[in-house]
Amino acid sequence: MEHFVEIKPGRKLLKRIFLSINLWFVGKAIQAAAKVDDEVKQEFDALPDGFTFSLGAFPNGPYMVVGKNEKGVVKYMGSKIDTVRLDMKMSLKSIECLFLLFTFQESTPVANSMDRLYVDGDIPHACSIVRIMDIVQVYLLPKFIAKLAIKRYPKWSLKRHTWNRLMVNLRAIAGF
Amino acid sequence: MYIPSYYEFCCKVKTVAGHGTLERIPGLLEAMGARNPMIITDKGVSQAGLATIVINAIEDKISIGSVEDDVPPDSDLKVVNHIASIYKKKACDSIIAVGGGSVLDTAKGVNIVVSEDADDLMQFTGAGALKRELKPLIAVPTTAGTGSEVTLVAVIADHDNNRKMLFTSYFLLPDAAIIDPRMTLTLPVHIAAPTAMDAMTHAIEAYICLSKNPLSDAHALEAIEMISNNIMAVMEAPDDGDARLALGTAATLAGIAFSNSMVGMIHTLGHSVGSVCHVPHGTCMSILLPYGLEYNMHKVGDRIAELLFPLAGAKVYATTPRQERAQKCVQYTRDMNQKLYEATNGIHARNLKEITDRDQNPMVPQSKLPEIARTALGDGSIFYNPEALEYDDCLMVLTAAWQGEKLDQSKVRKG
Ligand SMILES: [Fe+2]
Repeated sequence: MEHFVEIKPGRKLLKRIFLSINLWFVGKAIQAAAKVDDEVKQEFDALPDGFTFSLGAFPNGPYMVVGKNEKGVVKYMGSKIDTVRLDMKMSLKSIECLFLLFTFQESTPVANSMDRLYVDGDIPHACSIVRIMDIVQVYLLPKFIAKLAIKRYPKWSLKRHTWNRLMVNLRAIAGF
Repeated sequence: MYIPSYYEFCCKVKTVAGHGTLERIPGLLEAMGARNPMIITDKGVSQAGLATIVINAIEDKISIGSVEDDVPPDSDLKVVNHIASIYKKKACDSIIAVGGGSVLDTAKGVNIVVSEDADDLMQFTGAGALKRELKPLIAVPTTAGTGSEVTLVAVIADHDNNRKMLFTSYFLLPDAAIIDPRMTLTLPVHIAAPTAMDAMTHAIEAYICLSKNPLSDAHALEAIEMISNNIMAVMEAPDDGDARLALGTAATLAGIAFSNSMVGMIHTLGHSVGSVCHVPHGTCMSILLPYGLEYNMHKVGDRIAELLFPLAGAKVYATTPRQERAQKCVQYTRDMNQKLYEATNGIHARNLKEITDRDQNPMVPQSKLPEIARTALGDGSIFYNPEALEYDDCLMVLTAAWQGEKLDQSKVRKG
């Protein structure tokens, strides 16, 4: 559906690029955290092998896809949702909703709960993914922003806060 | 007053409430162009004579295509598909669902299959699978609790694959809800008590959880006041039609509230106690209600304090110092459970260890609490709760609720 003139097409494109980069980085960071963080590892272990999910904006993206292969290795699988078989789709109702989320104009739990998140798939699996995303956000964001993004800022060990954080960010940037 | 930057509210169910409203059903169906309704109900409801009351009220004005009372206590995929095939064979054109949550869920499932002219409900899983209006569906609740008559979800169990499927769509909302006290007049008090507390919990969670909005708030507050004012009247005089009507109306109000703002941890934990130990939903709600308030106190104490007014009335609210209102509200829900325990001669359980089955065996052994806590982590309602809940948190709350001891609020982990 087309919007009224207030939103200039140029801004929409910028939003798209901003969100694509964010999603790409979050995807990479999930892959990294699955190697570095025990809790994330545990959550992924509980998901079935081959489990693949997407996160993005309804209906035209951008998206990111993360999957766990047959050997249980978690991988960022790109931004295309039509070329992979998805077990679960999580989408914000519109690109604007996704933008609000990634710019922390609203806390994630509130946004999640305000009729903006579509989940297509098993609810227990969606719960695991949200917990994984919460942990990843603590790794990626400074505390004062992360506090907006999650309900309860966790009390982690010093190693988890420093070394693991460094590793998740390095691995996400370097992509290994 | 909390006004979110964005929210949605939808309730397009026509509500027909009052004494003698069952007789309005033929007129309502006719206005929707339906002439041959199927009645869907369960054995318990039909044995209690309620299906007969509905049939007697409408049969001289409309032909009834079929009466199906085979709905199990837990809605089932095969049953849905089977009833749908009968619907088609008998050329029915609408559904009257008479019963509680599982009857309503089943009726919604059947309505999907027959409206889409399919033969398997499984074709319609996933968001956005339903794209157009379904056939006319009239809901006649018989429990004054679940609020399913105004909710847009249907939960259908696929017992072969051991999973529950959730169907969510505005098209699942019934076209009309009939609140006639004749349907609840014979409901025994030990069932009326927990079902009313289920409705109470819907309203309270709608008011304190993350997705609240001004429109759902209005419905929630009115529901809380009506339940609080009428629940003991029903306990004392079960045949008080006006009090029954008030509870029925309140359950619908609470249903409108929570289907537009969702529920939180009381339902998260309650669903899990229910699925692991097969405890009736309302019983879990009554017991867990004070704990859900205590756990979230540091986050939403101001909202809980506001609830003292509809719960306990203007006088108690005014004479309670501001900073004590939230705790008083928790105490009030505990006192309610105590009164219901006394009014039902001890059948209404006050803690998890007190719950027994018909043969007086305990239903929730303490050894099951870890499994219940793990199950809770997979329940979607956990996200609408103001404070986060991890495994340890669930176990802590469950343990206190099992013992029947107050939750030690200093032990609740804060961010
Ligand atoms: Fe409930």
